[in-house]
Amino acid sequence: MTPRSALLAFAARPLYWLLLAAALWILLRGHNEPGGGFIGGLVAVAASSLVAIALDTAAARRLQPLAPLPLAMLGVGLAMLSGLAGAATGAPYLTHLWTAWGVSTVMLFDAGVFLAVWGALTGYVYALLADNGQAAQ
Amino acid sequence: MPAPLHLDHPEHHGGHACLWVALLPLALFSALAWGVLHHELPWQGEVAWVPSLGVSLAFRIDGLSAQMLALITGIGTLVFVYASGYLAHEARRGRLLGVLLLFMLAMIGAVTADNLIVLFLFWELTSLSSFLLVGFKHDDAHARASARQALLVTMGGGLALLGGFVLLARMAGTWSLSGVQAAAPAIMHDPLLPLAVVLVMIGAFTKSAQFPFHFWLPNAMSAPTPVSAYLHSATMVKLGIYLLARFDASFNDLPLWESTLITVGTITAVWGAVLALRERDLKRILARTTVSALGTLTLLIGLSTPGAGLAVAAFLFAHALYKAPLFMVAGNIDHATGTRSIDHLMGLRHAMPWTAAVAILAGLSMAGLPLSFGFVAKDVMAVAKAEAELFALASYALVLVNAIAVAVAGVAAIRVFWGPPEWPRGKVHEAHWTMLAPPLLIVLLGLEFELIPNVANPLLLAAAQSISPALGQVDLQATHDLATLLSTSGIAVGIGLLLFVFWDHLHEVLHRQHWLDRYGPAALYEALLHGLARLAAWHTRAIQHGGLTGYLRLMLAALLAMGSFGWLLTVPALQLEWQWAPQGWAWLAACVLIATGALAAVSLRDRLAVLMASGLIGYGSAVLFLFAGAPDLAFTQFMVETALVVVAASLLPQFVGAAPSPARRRWRATDLALAVAAGLGCFVLLTQLAGLTPDTQLADWFAANSLPEGRGRNVVNVIIVDFRALDTLGEIAVVAFSLLAAMPLLAGLRGDRQP
Amino acid sequence: MELMLAITISITVAAGVLLVLSGELFRLVIGLAMLGSTVNLVVFMTARPASLTPPVIAPGVATLPADAVNALPQALVLTAIVIGFALLCFSLVLAAWLARRQRHADVDRLRTTEPAASDAVKPPILED
Repeated sequence: MTPRSALLAFAARPLYWLLLAAALWILLRGHNEPGGGFIGGLVAVAASSLVAIALDTAAARRLQPLAPLPLAMLGVGLAMLSGLAGAATGAPYLTHLWTAWGVSTVMLFDAGVFLAVWGALTGYVYALLADNGQAAQ
Repeated sequence: MPAPLHLDHPEHHGGHACLWVALLPLALFSALAWGVLHHELPWQGEVAWVPSLGVSLAFRIDGLSAQMLALITGIGTLVFVYASGYLAHEARRGRLLGVLLLFMLAMIGAVTADNLIVLFLFWELTSLSSFLLVGFKHDDAHARASARQALLVTMGGGLALLGGFVLLARMAGTWSLSGVQAAAPAIMHDPLLPLAVVLVMIGAFTKSAQFPFHFWLPNAMSAPTPVSAYLHSATMVKLGIYLLARFDASFNDLPLWESTLITVGTITAVWGAVLALRERDLKRILARTTVSALGTLTLLIGLSTPGAGLAVAAFLFAHALYKAPLFMVAGNIDHATGTRSIDHLMGLRHAMPWTAAVAILAGLSMAGLPLSFGFVAKDVMAVAKAEAELFALASYALVLVNAIAVAVAGVAAIRVFWGPPEWPRGKVHEAHWTMLAPPLLIVLLGLEFELIPNVANPLLLAAAQSISPALGQVDLQATHDLATLLSTSGIAVGIGLLLFVFWDHLHEVLHRQHWLDRYGPAALYEALLHGLARLAAWHTRAIQHGGLTGYLRLMLAALLAMGSFGWLLTVPALQLEWQWAPQGWAWLAACVLIATGALAAVSLRDRLAVLMASGLIGYGSAVLFLFAGAPDLAFTQFMVETALVVVAASLLPQFVGAAPSPARRRWRATDLALAVAAGLGCFVLLTQLAGLTPDTQLADWFAANSLPEGRGRNVVNVIIVDFRALDTLGEIAVVAFSLLAAMPLLAGLRGDRQP
Repeated sequence: MELMLAITISITVAAGVLLVLSGELFRLVIGLAMLGSTVNLVVFMTARPASLTPPVIAPGVATLPADAVNALPQALVLTAIVIGFALLCFSLVLAAWLARRQRHADVDRLRTTEPAASDAVKPPILED
């Protein structure tokens, strides 16, 4: 991916935040309109990949809250946890609950999906791009 | 020249160490005797086992069972006594006695079971314990081969038997043995009955060593002598006879049953007897005549006259009463001299007087001479045969069989013990009392039955009536009539004496017939066994060759073959309709994209170009989803396809160039054919799918409950995160863990780049 | 229209099979991915997607429009796309790792764990 475009390098960070915001928006609206954790997660992957290509993988990693594998595991963990609340009330595992302000365990579950997809796929992208960069040197 | 003596055999100290084991069969025998005297037969009992399948632990003891039980426990007691002496110096005697006990219990179960499944289980258990006992000397390759042969033949027959039982049970509607017997007249014209009967007969024939399955029995003589005397003459080999007798009353009207039994019985009787003349080993000679006697029993069962049942019962008993002692005699001789070859045995009467006495008494019975139970049996058999108007050929055959039995009796009782002693005085000793008392008791029992028939009569009559219910109250009396004696046994005895005198000459003539070894059923068995191993080796090489693409081709071809078979069974239908909706142009564009991508991916050489072409398929699918009411899918597919190109493109340098190997060109046409077939198969599948009426039950439920239950308006998302959340949890776990699994591989890729 | 789609899917299946049988690692993985995509299309086709209306309940309305597409195959395919992609990534990495380790991309020469075709490991005939 060298030589890198200067314009792309300049626009990478703003675009990243823009895309990430879009990803979160897709995630949040997903329950009522097209969207959801899977799609949101893929958009977030695109955002991270953009930075990784335009700058380098280290920069992309820094912009992520956690390293890819822990992020993915956190996502799976969140999704698993979201089911416990329902189970605690005696209902079957993964029965979802809603509170008064529209916050619900469904949200938590979908966020888990989002993080799992984001973490796992960026893990591949970073590893392969870093490898490729090395190969080009 | 005498074979080397087993001088390391010390005196039989402590020979009765395991004598107490005989107490168990003795107790059972006493219980049986007491029961028969005090309670009317039959006795029955039943415990539910698998009620849902109609299988219960049902047992029923009638006259036939009682007779078999008397043999199993009575001879069993004496065999255990004998074994305690015979095995006094055998280190592993505990194991042998244990398996022998197991066998006895299995036999008891088999002859008393009144449920086909239970009978089958015990039947197989006897085969299994026979395998363990024949292969007891497991350091001897010949014993191992014999054990395997006995197991394969009898277990193979057991499979046939199971098939026959299943068919019978289906026809009769019950797994109960007496139920099947009761239902026999009703199923007499069932088209499957001949098959069931043939399968049952195969099972019985393998067990009772009938031609052409007879060859395993002489080889089973590798077993220690107590085993030969117990399993392979007195009890286990009679199990097939028992089963045939058990079903005889039901199927006697079937011409197939009758003619097969008579034919196979006659062939077995003659063949076994003639082959006895080829042997030099005393035990193998006796085993051949056992085969012959079993053939005679089968023939007698095939006769439909009422007297036949009595003949079967009498001969079954008589055979056990003379053959088991003769085996014990052979064992004693083997034990004392270390050889069983009749070439090296002569004049043993001085050294082993008691064994000689047993041999003479048993030989008398085997020859069917007066003063023995065998005489009574032969007499009854003659009556039965006279009643049945046997084919002339079978009658002559039986005379020959009897004659050879006389000759063998002569060899075992006279030749070995009379004549000039070939062994130095003092080197051969008489056996321990535990090895003398049992055979002596058995032959004396035989004598006593002859002289005081009242003791044996009730038991034999009860057994005979189980076999032929038409039998009235017949007296079992030896007709000491000179005319009968001359007409029936006389000729046989005469020929037998001639055979005895010319035994060695006959042996020479027969021994030179080497084609008998090359083309017999035994040779066929060996060929099959080796063929099976070769087939397995060839098949392993041909199919599990290690070529991955070959595996794929095979699996694909198998899949297509199965699919075509399934298609043949359905009604072909071309249900796809050509309706042009407004979004048709978008679909057309999507389809053109997909098809172009697919064809380009196949035809392009450059890997990057292949990757891009495959990307077209994804984008085409996305367009299709977009114009089919699936915006979620379309968006996901767009994102995935983009990410795929990024990932795959960065991996491309890893795939170093390798031109397709020359072998591949050979397969090009096959691959093309497979691909076209797969495409066509897929097309057929899709047309069939379109012909089905969609079941919208689930879709309607999700649509109706998405908002009230899931509080979401996007039904797809509600299904993913709520209704099917557990599935989704599993899927994201797979996504996350695939990265975990790829980590070491990625580290390996990043490592030393240019090795 | 469905006929058109069926023909397209069949062509893709044939192409995927050819790639899988090509005996070259990269093409093998791409072929598998193509076959995966066609499976998604087949599942999607079972929904009879004749309309353009997505299965989304409009705000202020309590029920789905009558002509909305069946949502279940969509949910299945959506997750299948993502999971398929993750496994494809894994397969690609594995294939790349193998190709690098063996220094070739020939599927039929990947046989380090297999005995040679002439190996005598499997006994030709039964002994004893």
